[in-house]
Amino acid sequence: MTALLEVRDLTRTFGALNAVAGVSFSVGAGELVGLIGPNGAGKSTLYNVIAGAIAPSSGQVVFKGRPVAGWKPYQAARAGVARTFQIPKPYRHLSVLENVALSALLHERTVAAARDSAGAVLAEVGLADYLEAPVANLTVGLLKRLEVARAIALRPSLVLFDEIMAGLTPSEVKGMTSLVAALPARGITVIWVEHVLYAIMNTAPRIMVLHRGELIADGAPATLAKDPAVIKAYLGEETSLA
Amino acid sequence: MTTVGQLVFSGLLIGGIYALMSIGLTLIFGVLRVVNFAHGEFLMLAMYGAWAVTKYLGLNPYYSVVAIVPAMFLFGVLVHRMIVAPALDKPHLVVVFATMGLSILMQNVALMAMSADLLDVPPMLGGRSFSFGPFYAKPELLIGFAVAVACTLALRFMLQATYLGKAIRATVQDGEAAQLMGVPVPRIFLITFAAGSALVGLSACVMMPLFSVFPTVGLNFVLIAFVIVVLGGMGSIEGALLGGICIGIVQSLSSYYIAPAFGQMFFFMLFLLVMIFRPAGLLGRKGEASIGIND
Amino acid sequence: MDAAPPIAKRRPQRWRLMPERGTLSLFELALLAICVALVVARPPQYLQDVVIQTFLWAGLALAWNIAGGFAGLISFGHAAFFGLGAYTSTILTVNHGVTPWIGLWIGGALAAVFATLLTLVCARLRGPFFILSTLAAAEVVRIAALNWEKLTGGAEGLAILPTASVANMVFDSKTTYAALMLGYLVIVYAVTKAVEGSRYGYYLFAARDDEDAASAAGVNPLLARTGAMGLSAFLTGIGGSLFAQYFLFLDPTHVLSPELSFQFALLPALGGLGTAIGPVLGSFAITPLSEMLRAYFGGKAAGLHLAIYGGVLVIVMLYFPSGIAGALQRLSKRWRSSNR
Repeated sequence: MTALLEVRDLTRTFGALNAVAGVSFSVGAGELVGLIGPNGAGKSTLYNVIAGAIAPSSGQVVFKGRPVAGWKPYQAARAGVARTFQIPKPYRHLSVLENVALSALLHERTVAAARDSAGAVLAEVGLADYLEAPVANLTVGLLKRLEVARAIALRPSLVLFDEIMAGLTPSEVKGMTSLVAALPARGITVIWVEHVLYAIMNTAPRIMVLHRGELIADGAPATLAKDPAVIKAYLGEETSLA
Repeated sequence: MTTVGQLVFSGLLIGGIYALMSIGLTLIFGVLRVVNFAHGEFLMLAMYGAWAVTKYLGLNPYYSVVAIVPAMFLFGVLVHRMIVAPALDKPHLVVVFATMGLSILMQNVALMAMSADLLDVPPMLGGRSFSFGPFYAKPELLIGFAVAVACTLALRFMLQATYLGKAIRATVQDGEAAQLMGVPVPRIFLITFAAGSALVGLSACVMMPLFSVFPTVGLNFVLIAFVIVVLGGMGSIEGALLGGICIGIVQSLSSYYIAPAFGQMFFFMLFLLVMIFRPAGLLGRKGEASIGIND
Repeated sequence: MDAAPPIAKRRPQRWRLMPERGTLSLFELALLAICVALVVARPPQYLQDVVIQTFLWAGLALAWNIAGGFAGLISFGHAAFFGLGAYTSTILTVNHGVTPWIGLWIGGALAAVFATLLTLVCARLRGPFFILSTLAAAEVVRIAALNWEKLTGGAEGLAILPTASVANMVFDSKTTYAALMLGYLVIVYAVTKAVEGSRYGYYLFAARDDEDAASAAGVNPLLARTGAMGLSAFLTGIGGSLFAQYFLFLDPTHVLSPELSFQFALLPALGGLGTAIGPVLGSFAITPLSEMLRAYFGGKAAGLHLAIYGGVLVIVMLYFPSGIAGALQRLSKRWRSSNR
């Protein structure tokens, strides 16, 4: 079975800093994979390389069997890779609906159809009441949901979520978690960077741990939670999966 | 060969003066990340001021520095408080258009107040050229150049050695971090803008003996200043000096060997070449031009 | 998350009062009616001049806005496109007998090519760096025109023979000119509205507001921006040709100056960047005002009208950054909610 995404010995340096150092993994279609690690571990850089925002220093990214390292972000999007931004980047002069409609335009033929499609996605993430709201008024939590909506509206094969839970209340976290968990069944493979551990550790069947640019663990949450290297680098103590 | 040498020498001197006029612009950009489109009109205002002091007090225009520099500093404070500071947290086109509007306002107020006549100060330094090695130079040019170099050195010293200077450098590198470290960033903005304005005042005093003043004089010089600032690297003081000298030499040579009008065209083309191939300029930080300013 | 009704509210199919993206409003129709009336009513000579200039400048402001407002490419060098259009069609007319009706397309195309090259070359530049590059490029064109006397007549300029005929696009009647300029305005407005409501418009707005996010959503920002600049330049160039046919005289100071470039930017800024109706409102407010001030104060206090202009711009930018159009929108929202 060919993996949907394969990362081979990927390295990205900034001057003397090894942001990503020889990372290799593969993700199959339909997987839901968590990616955790302390700040500065290289998660955002990894996302940026996969999604085309920056080029790798060395190594390869293979998507749907095609080597794509160094592609442009819009090429990634058109090929089926969506991503959210850790610090939300909404289109400030467009309404919430229009923000998502732009993404929907990738697959819809008319603006009207894109708007309808966007409305549906926004309802899924719980933003149905904010369709015409100007983006400037939204809180961070709402903006994060907007990021998720924009990513889903692209109808991607692979989505890279970047800390989408920040700013959400516990019940909102529950809702968002079920949404994310349901995505693989819709044909959307998920890689998920998250700091809100209880959400991710209980939902993702597989978790990768990044530390100082290196992949130090890759496996089931239960195993990881006991892994001394992971505990030392990130968890701090044995994390119970309650 | 001595013609070329003389041209280069004269170009060097006038280039230093152009640089002095541009240092304020590059400093303001480096710290506040705004381009003051009224920069030329600040110069025009200061030149009228220097002219007036000379005419009505009979002083040598160089002495008018005492009045003009503080006056321009205050003017800078005024403009910053009323126009620049309120525009800083809005989309950057606001400050662009606001300073543009100020530019038009000032040009036309000058037109109404002083008419379109070209005004000069009478030559006060004897009118003879001094010889400087194998080359000749008017004393006004030598003084102007000396002031430019002294100013650059003084600014560099201030930036390295004083707390204010360090605060400014910190703000340039990372305004948010600086603020978190206790640097009063809004005040740094104010001081920098006003200082930039004062520097323009200084340059006006040394330029008045060399150029005439009229309401739209700013437009000529601001375009030169933009080219110098870009060439030298936005935010770099030494870059402004270097850029100014390059421009002065280019202008001097091309005015002589080609036509004076084409001289201007050359440095716009130089500007575009720099923008295309090395937008950070000679001494600026790489990648800056692709980030532009924070929106 | 429940399965809430997924369809976004479709707007009721009735006429909107105020201008909105994607549809025509009563306001726009009313304005059109007024414009037609101004043409047909044959006001006195000097007023007709004002009307002609107002329509032309509205069209030019709209053209600039496609790049500056929609795409976020603020340019202080649009005089280059204006001048290229004007000089191209004029040189073709005067030296080669080509009718301006064809010449204006060629002028527009030339301007578009120049703009496209410029945008590609300045692709990585943002903010003030881009603005200054447009300024520099326009100055290069102006100085070239000033010195290439064989082609452009240099500082002495070019004059078009005032022999009236339709083929020459020279008219005795100012009413015909007014109709011509109104036609230009209507066409540019239609193009603007079409772009605004289209998927291309979405791409432009997104690329303008956040280039990285737009890229991540499948938009090629460089292509979008270049297209916008090209279109803007094309329409501006055509406006230049029309100007040449009206004014019958061109010289670099009149059609290639930085002051002209600033004017192209100021009208949309005052009227409301990024909207379709904004530049029109900007021109309708400012052009007659500045003509009247110039006529009234001209001799007595040269520059007063421009000084007022400058002062107004500062105030508008600081307190009404979305311009006249923005203020109107806010008023209409308040009126609508108070009438609920």
